[in-house]
Amino acid sequence: MTDGNNQKPRNGSSGIIIETRNLVKRFGPKLVLDNVSLAIEKGKTTVVIGPSGCGKTVLIKHFIVLIRPSGGEVHFKGRRVDNLGERELDQVRTHFGYLFQEGALFDSMTVAENIMFPIQQHARIRNRGEIEDIVKAKLAMVGLDGFQHYYPARLSGGQRKRVALARAIALNPEVILYDEPTTGLDPIRSDIINELILKLERELGVTTIVVTHDMKSAYKVADRIIMLHNGKVIADGDADDIRNHVHPVVQQFIHGQVSDDDLAVLRMTGAATTPQFLPRDFEQ
Amino acid sequence: MLAALGAKAVQEVVDAGHFGRFAWRATTTSARCCARRRTFPLVWNQMFVIGVHSVPVVMITGAFVGMTLAVQAYDQLAGMGLEEHLGVLINISVVKELGPVLAAVMLAGRIGGALTAELGTMNVTEQIDAVRSMGTDPIRYLVAPRLLASLLLTPVLTIFADFMGVIGGALVSFLQMEINSRAYWNHSASAVALWDVSIGVAKAFFFGGAIATISCYKGFTCKEGAHGVGQACTEAFVASFISILALDFAIAVISKNIYEIFWPLKSIVT
Repeated sequence: MTDGNNQKPRNGSSGIIIETRNLVKRFGPKLVLDNVSLAIEKGKTTVVIGPSGCGKTVLIKHFIVLIRPSGGEVHFKGRRVDNLGERELDQVRTHFGYLFQEGALFDSMTVAENIMFPIQQHARIRNRGEIEDIVKAKLAMVGLDGFQHYYPARLSGGQRKRVALARAIALNPEVILYDEPTTGLDPIRSDIINELILKLERELGVTTIVVTHDMKSAYKVADRIIMLHNGKVIADGDADDIRNHVHPVVQQFIHGQVSDDDLAVLRMTGAATTPQFLPRDFEQ
Repeated sequence: MLAALGAKAVQEVVDAGHFGRFAWRATTTSARCCARRRTFPLVWNQMFVIGVHSVPVVMITGAFVGMTLAVQAYDQLAGMGLEEHLGVLINISVVKELGPVLAAVMLAGRIGGALTAELGTMNVTEQIDAVRSMGTDPIRYLVAPRLLASLLLTPVLTIFADFMGVIGGALVSFLQMEINSRAYWNHSASAVALWDVSIGVAKAFFFGGAIATISCYKGFTCKEGAHGVGQACTEAFVASFISILALDFAIAVISKNIYEIFWPLKSIVT
């Protein structure tokens, strides 16, 4: 059961910051997003849930136009952005922080250099000491001050995500996009990331969009939960709405139950995994 | 069968279009970066990686080209009593053709492979997307410094290769073939003009551009996984090698025509 006590109190609404209108994305013949229309409210935490491969990451990459849509529109602060040129988009993207699933830290740079990167590219600060102070402050926010000279390869998975988060907030963005922030982490480190998401929302007042299939994390950080299935939004509401949603796919997903169809497929292919089909050394 | 062939042809045209667009963006962005002082440190870093580390490889290549030419050509020229002209053959071949082409092939393997592997790994680990997500153009940050460094340094490295080719050929000619060094250099000096050296260096400029553009493109478009990166490196080398040979032919034709047009004017100028 999900812990209802851990649910986040709701914030007040204060306008739309990101909007998609009839968003369609195809990769070859595969339809990944099918007429997705969404409005993301400013200052709130929206969590996008759904099974792996349902188009969650593709959806949030459209918000920052890392992927161009096959159809439909993306708007940021009332301005259509999906049709902008790359140079104009570079300006739009400075309003976002993006935490990639694996962190996507530059492995040839130290932790400090990774966080300095967006500052050196965009902030008009030339003083090295001033930049180092910002890096120190950002690392302190994620609890990793003192790791400035480490290379990403020497960090654990959780530390890498926290450094990536420090880099994502380096330019004080208005929106932070988290792509599977707790995937691959143990429950305690997952909770540290959840607490960080809440802390940054509280302290920086940012709009937060989280893609996850970790329901514990979703319930903890979300003001609003959206569920994607086969490229469509099938559920949209707060944590209680999702818990009580009548759609069977939503209930299967939030309770982590395999569907009858999937079970039937597993049973049909079960013969292939019986011992007589396994290699001899496997049996030993 | 016919449909599959058609689909393959269409895909090839689409791929060529993507490469053309990438090459155009890389070229125009690099041109703009020449005026941006913030790009200079990035170019400088790449010049160190591309240039300094390639000097030994390129010099060894050049030396062996000159030495092999001396061994191979000696018998033919000696049979006609023209062994003192060996320097002409070696030096023209080295500075105009073999030096630039073989140095470029070595660089395609050394630099091209490294560029594709580095950018390909960045691509599959979403580091290139990370650059874009932070509002920085990856063409400007990643491709332009590599392209500029390659354009600037391939001609310099070719001069190293040419120099070692000339020295290698001369040493074999003097020490092994016992050719009179004075006659060797006199004939060489009268036959090898600044034009020949300039054509070789100009070729190297275009070869450097082709190697960097192709390698960066393959890195940016490589498929996921270790296999994808490996395949991109192979494709980058093959494509660079073919483009070096094609450019060599094209520049040879163009330079020959330019030479024939302006050759009559030489006597007026001098």
